[in-house]
Amino acid sequence: MNSQEILTLAEAIVGAWDWATEVSHPRPNQIDVKVTHLNELVPIVVGLRVKRLGYLCAIVGLDLGPEVNEMEVLYHFCPGDVVIGLRVRIPRQGGAVPSLSEVIPSAEVFERELHEMFGIEITGLRNTERLYLPERWPEGVYPLRKDFDPASLAAHEGGV
Amino acid sequence: MEPKKNVWDEVVKGLKTWARVNSPWVLHFNSGSCNGCDIEILSTLTPRYDMERMGVKLQASPRHADILLATGAVTRQARERLVRIYEQMHEPKFVIAIGSCAISGGVFEGCYNVMGGIDQVIPVNAYIPGCPPRPEAIIYGVVKLLNSLLPAGSQIPAALPVPENTPEEVTTL
Amino acid sequence: MPENLAPKRFTIPIGPQHPALKEPGHFQFTVDGEVVTSAYVRLGYAHRGIEKAAEERTWIQNLYLIERICGICSHIHAMAYCLAVESLANVEAPPRAQAIRVLVAELERIHSHFLWIGVSAHEAGFETLFMYSWRDRETVMDLLEGLTGNRVNYSANLLGGVKFDLDQAQMDSIRKGVDFLEERTHHYLDVIMHDSTFLQRTRGIGVMTTAQAEVMGAVGPTARASNVKRDLRVEAPYSAYKTFPVQMALDTRGDLEARFEVRLNELFESFRLIRQILDNLPEGPLVARIPRRIPAGEAVVRLEAPRGEVYYFVKGNGSDKPERLKVRTPTICNLTSVIRLAVGHQLADVPMILAGIDPCFSCNDRMVQVRDAATDSQKMLTWEQLRQHGIDFYRSKAK
Repeated sequence: MNSQEILTLAEAIVGAWDWATEVSHPRPNQIDVKVTHLNELVPIVVGLRVKRLGYLCAIVGLDLGPEVNEMEVLYHFCPGDVVIGLRVRIPRQGGAVPSLSEVIPSAEVFERELHEMFGIEITGLRNTERLYLPERWPEGVYPLRKDFDPASLAAHEGGV
Repeated sequence: MEPKKNVWDEVVKGLKTWARVNSPWVLHFNSGSCNGCDIEILSTLTPRYDMERMGVKLQASPRHADILLATGAVTRQARERLVRIYEQMHEPKFVIAIGSCAISGGVFEGCYNVMGGIDQVIPVNAYIPGCPPRPEAIIYGVVKLLNSLLPAGSQIPAALPVPENTPEEVTTL
Repeated sequence: MPENLAPKRFTIPIGPQHPALKEPGHFQFTVDGEVVTSAYVRLGYAHRGIEKAAEERTWIQNLYLIERICGICSHIHAMAYCLAVESLANVEAPPRAQAIRVLVAELERIHSHFLWIGVSAHEAGFETLFMYSWRDRETVMDLLEGLTGNRVNYSANLLGGVKFDLDQAQMDSIRKGVDFLEERTHHYLDVIMHDSTFLQRTRGIGVMTTAQAEVMGAVGPTARASNVKRDLRVEAPYSAYKTFPVQMALDTRGDLEARFEVRLNELFESFRLIRQILDNLPEGPLVARIPRRIPAGEAVVRLEAPRGEVYYFVKGNGSDKPERLKVRTPTICNLTSVIRLAVGHQLADVPMILAGIDPCFSCNDRMVQVRDAATDSQKMLTWEQLRQHGIDFYRSKAK
């Protein structure tokens, strides 16, 4: 399939959830899908997977900051040279996303990183151990949050 | 009794220094570097630079090493292991911090998971700057350290000649 | 630690570690006799916090940070970053600069694969092969130094282009160097394919089927050795690969031998491509102007590093610093696949299986914890000891 065919197929798949998504095309080879109903995230991923468009490149966490008070999680699926981006928004405190690891085993490492860096809960993720951060890293301190304060590490008892 | 013991101690010490300096056993530890310095250290063992000609032997165990070649800015995860290795080395022991990261944290200075250089964790005897330092610079640094242990007049030359059998393609490109 | 690896009884630890010191092994294997029944990798030893640091540095300062993510594939990281930022700024580097970027990228691929073959040979106990390949690698290091001024961390890229041009003398020495390296690659391929002691360690070992490779998200030569058609230079050509296309090196066998051959075979494409670029280097400027404040927006860039796909995501907020930078390296994708692959194999095969994915972390000081489920004993090995175990195992098998 060439890029145009992939894009058309992706649109068709996502189109089945038009009540739960907002689709846009930021660049010629890209389709951006804002998933407004979090429960539909995994079904949409399965839909892409079944049509062989489900090569998960990366999961990106974005802290939109205390004013917006939300976080964004991007899932980039990249068949060929097309980038299919699924995007969800969750509350900044206590936000959670469903795990993709049952559908896509390689998502596990990405989700572990997402959790330890942002503090986002990943519902259904079995292995929630630290991936990159050291064992003695304090709980509740998430480095990639915009309000991360390195001084809180120095203050941590016993040193990190 | 006392004066004889002192003379003997000096002789033994001299012999030990000579043996250590002429055949130092070196341990390499990466505390979280990008591998740039590590591959240049490994390059010193390969035919073009061949540090083994000088008797420098790469060891795997801290218990047998005289010199620790440490790279990286020291990540929190690697810090404990670095300390442990240092503690396991027998005296006298020397530490050489290789590369900008090992000296000060390099470009990663200030990063949340980085201590900021080897001497933030263990004592360092010599620093070899560079990002990464060339193999010649690494050899030069190691030799300078060894020379500091030898009496003047019996020092190792720091510039090593290119071995005779090096193929032309390697030297003339 | 995953529950199934937690030891029920702690018996005699063997190795240079003091028994009282409880250190988590980098690698933790549970074995039943010689067979690995579970495998676990502890990461984080090289985690420096680059993504956070990038948010606190300007777009230009970040270039120097990014180059140092990996000393072996420094250029590809810098190139990915530049392409991502240029995409945000809607600027395209001039054709001559793109061609030079690709030229350096291919030279880097050559240095990386020669480095890897030496390291893999060392893992198998082939010291002479390690020495020869690293001696040959000096040729490409000289070429890169002649072009860029440094052996490692070439710093060839600028936002908007490249820092240097090529003159006739440099082009001639590149051609000469590539001729020499190609002849040496033929030699190494011959060894890989015919040396019986090498084949004992690679043929039929570490097999990953196409389906497994796809499901586990393998990338790069590791995936291509299992017939997964993933090579970004071909499926999603970027930069000068649009003008100078390459062929994918594939293999259907999916074992370690296949992974070795794919890497060597793709070197021939690199040699061919370098000659083609030198013969057809576009004229023109080396840099395009790029503003200091990069417009707000998001960009995704995917490049084919020597180890596989490297993914970059940048988000700008219109200021002189990035809002977010995400780097996803190929090793994290291949590591998860290879850890699962170790299960069912012999412990003696583990060093080679890991070498087969060309891991982008320094293997010098990896503590390995091995727990024997049958005897419930546990020991800590250095990576050296594990490597030696593999060599000894196969040596005694050959007798």
